[in-house]
Amino acid sequence: MLRYILKRMVISFFTIMLLVTVVFFLIRAMPGEPFLSDKLTPEIRMNMVRYYGFDKPLYVQYLSYIKNLLRGDLGVSMHYNGIPVAKIIGDSFPFSASLGVRALGLAVIVGITLGIVSALNRGRFLDYFCVVAAILGVSLPDFVTGYLLQYVFSIKLKLLPIAMWRGFKYTVLPTFALSFYTTALLTRMMRASMLDVTTQDYIKVARAKGLGTFQIVMRHQLRNAILPVITILGPITAAILTGTFIIESIYAIPGMGKFYVNGIQNLDYSQVLGLTVFYGAFLVIANFAVDILYGVVDPRIRADRRDER
Amino acid sequence: MNKKILTIILLLLCAVVAAVPATAAKKSLTFSMETEIPVLDPQKSNAAPSFTVISHVFENLVRRVEGKTIPGAAESWETSEDGRTITFHLRDSKWSDGQPVTAADFEYSIKRLLDPNTAAEYAFAAYYIAGAEEYNLGKADVSAVGIKAVDDKTLVINLKEPTPYFVSFLGHGSFAPSRRDLVEKYGAAYATDADKAAYNGPFILKEWRHEETKILEKNPGYWNADAIKLDKAEIMVIYDTATALNLFESGEFDIVDVPSNLFKQYQDQGTAKLFLNGALDWMKFNLRDNPAKPWLANKNFRLAVGWAIDRESYTLVSTKGLYMPALRFVLPIVQGVGSEYGKEYPLDFYAPKGDAAKAKEFLAKALDELKIKASDITMEYLIQDQEETRLMAETLQQQLQNVLGINVKIKLVTRMQRQQLEADGEFDTVYSGWMPDYDDPMSYEEIWVSTSSHNSAKYSSEAYDRFVQGAMVEKDAGKRMDMIFAAEKQILEDAPLVPLQLRRKAWMTAPGLKGFGRPLIGAEYDFAFAYFE
Repeated sequence: MLRYILKRMVISFFTIMLLVTVVFFLIRAMPGEPFLSDKLTPEIRMNMVRYYGFDKPLYVQYLSYIKNLLRGDLGVSMHYNGIPVAKIIGDSFPFSASLGVRALGLAVIVGITLGIVSALNRGRFLDYFCVVAAILGVSLPDFVTGYLLQYVFSIKLKLLPIAMWRGFKYTVLPTFALSFYTTALLTRMMRASMLDVTTQDYIKVARAKGLGTFQIVMRHQLRNAILPVITILGPITAAILTGTFIIESIYAIPGMGKFYVNGIQNLDYSQVLGLTVFYGAFLVIANFAVDILYGVVDPRIRADRRDER
Repeated sequence: MNKKILTIILLLLCAVVAAVPATAAKKSLTFSMETEIPVLDPQKSNAAPSFTVISHVFENLVRRVEGKTIPGAAESWETSEDGRTITFHLRDSKWSDGQPVTAADFEYSIKRLLDPNTAAEYAFAAYYIAGAEEYNLGKADVSAVGIKAVDDKTLVINLKEPTPYFVSFLGHGSFAPSRRDLVEKYGAAYATDADKAAYNGPFILKEWRHEETKILEKNPGYWNADAIKLDKAEIMVIYDTATALNLFESGEFDIVDVPSNLFKQYQDQGTAKLFLNGALDWMKFNLRDNPAKPWLANKNFRLAVGWAIDRESYTLVSTKGLYMPALRFVLPIVQGVGSEYGKEYPLDFYAPKGDAAKAKEFLAKALDELKIKASDITMEYLIQDQEETRLMAETLQQQLQNVLGINVKIKLVTRMQRQQLEADGEFDTVYSGWMPDYDDPMSYEEIWVSTSSHNSAKYSSEAYDRFVQGAMVEKDAGKRMDMIFAAEKQILEDAPLVPLQLRRKAWMTAPGLKGFGRPLIGAEYDFAFAYFE
């Protein structure tokens, strides 16, 4: 197991380095440069270019970026003049993560439950209801759900605050808005995978042995059906926890989402790279956690890893 | 017995309640800006949101209020006979940590603005000072810069040319004072958090939760604290304009900008107010030698384009009338000699509805000179891709094609790309414009002289240059403004640019809020002297 973890860590390290390299050169290939404004004269622009070291050859800049990165330094933002990128992430990530964990928790509980309920009631009203709700959930863009919830619950019914992040009741609407899509996705996946498992031989055997429905579902069907759902949980967790632009801006949550967007718009090289590294590392860790989770749920995978030794 | 006691208690309670004065006026202000401020460091700032906060927590030598220059940290100042030396006399005032504000603070800050190692975008603001430009461009030493603190209370500034608007320009956020000891202590982190700077303005930045909110509190040690009526101002960061509007309507915000797509609805309700935000947009031509497209360098062709545009219907179609037709080159509401420039020197160079006949006349002349047909002419219009700009470009394209029969191609790019292509001179025509940096027509005119690095059109007119240079050294205010007006007429006749529109913004305020300003220069909001009735 230890060897497996080590191997994964080495691969992950090179994955992130490759990612940084690709993004480094891609963003430099984008038209424009960070110090463009209608007010800037070419002479003053040169002052800024020199200040940030952009007058050096690209490979020198790349090497010095990698050197700093290995020491854990993500550089300073050019747009947020002087503020270290690590501080930008450190300030905003807790908000995104807090919202993300709530939304993910809600989505997992509700999504999986609805998926099971739907599969067990296949062809009946409850199933249709869940299927329609799930289709609605995946097809509604989040700005529609975001504004709709805000309009109905804050403006018309005045039950919850319109926006901002100042205590529990402020978190309710963004959590629902953010979890909507994921809930629907998980419902659909869980339903399909449950139905897939139902026709397997071992379920028939279990039924033939005379086990009760509850036992079959909990002990045999669920454990097998949940595997594909766990697979997508890795990327979903990374995406949902590291900030979403639209929901965060509708509800004025000071999270990370907007930095992905304005970093590109402002061509803030260090900000974009810093976020890429952070997101990449997060994704790698999440996928790693998923792999471990596989082993917990499915003994066959544990056995495979033992063979590697 | 019990009833009696109860009655007495109730009566007493009523008396207490009645004794409390009727609702006291509100003393705190809440609103939001669309972006977090990148920096609060006055010398490193480059955007209106930063300057908005800076102008409330720092006190410059002078302060700008409703287009007027009033004394700030300087009690008084006098200008020498030749107009080139200004001597400022500072009043007794204190920083928020109790230290006195001295002339040396201002000398240090302005030199810091110019220091090439600060890499300040607004360094050009101080170029009027003798030796300043040379120092900023690494051609001279800091000792050559004409600014000196003679003693704690006296600051002398030597200018390159007599620049009548320079004192008003000193009210700009870039000239706000920074404390040397704090800059040295915090280095690059100076003014990146509320406690990493000292303040001398009407307010103190009490709390700065990045990307969320900034809380300003009245500065009790401010020299003019009696004039400040608000105790607190909170400036939140809300990216989504619809959310900000909802918060205003629910009473949580005291002011809000109305998104341009909704302005009509609020204007019809009578709640939205409109103001010119200072931006004047134009279509700029590339006058570089271009054998493939010789018409771009032809004056008559450019004038034909200028007259072919029906600016009234153009602004109505593309912005529902939020923007106004621009009929001249200088923003008419900047300061003239004694009042607004546009009132002192009225000029409608183009007619609001354009003039198709006149346009065709100019076109005929151009075609004759170039020996081509109208259908030979193609012209690319470079424009940045934003919500509103597509409709603008398409409206313009249609008007030009209908009236002149030429081919106009729209090239949509990102903002960064547009700026790069414009600066590099890689365009036929480009949608751009200018917001004034200081309250004088010169802010528009100096960028079009042949030597200006902003002159990406490569417009070069001896007459225009002569008028502008003349105005730069002229001491008599009236004669100076006459030259400025002559330069404006010259550039409109040469038409390296064709004015399009004046931008207006819609906004709303809570009932009872008074004294809240929307400055033309630098900051976006001015609430220093705001109060609730």
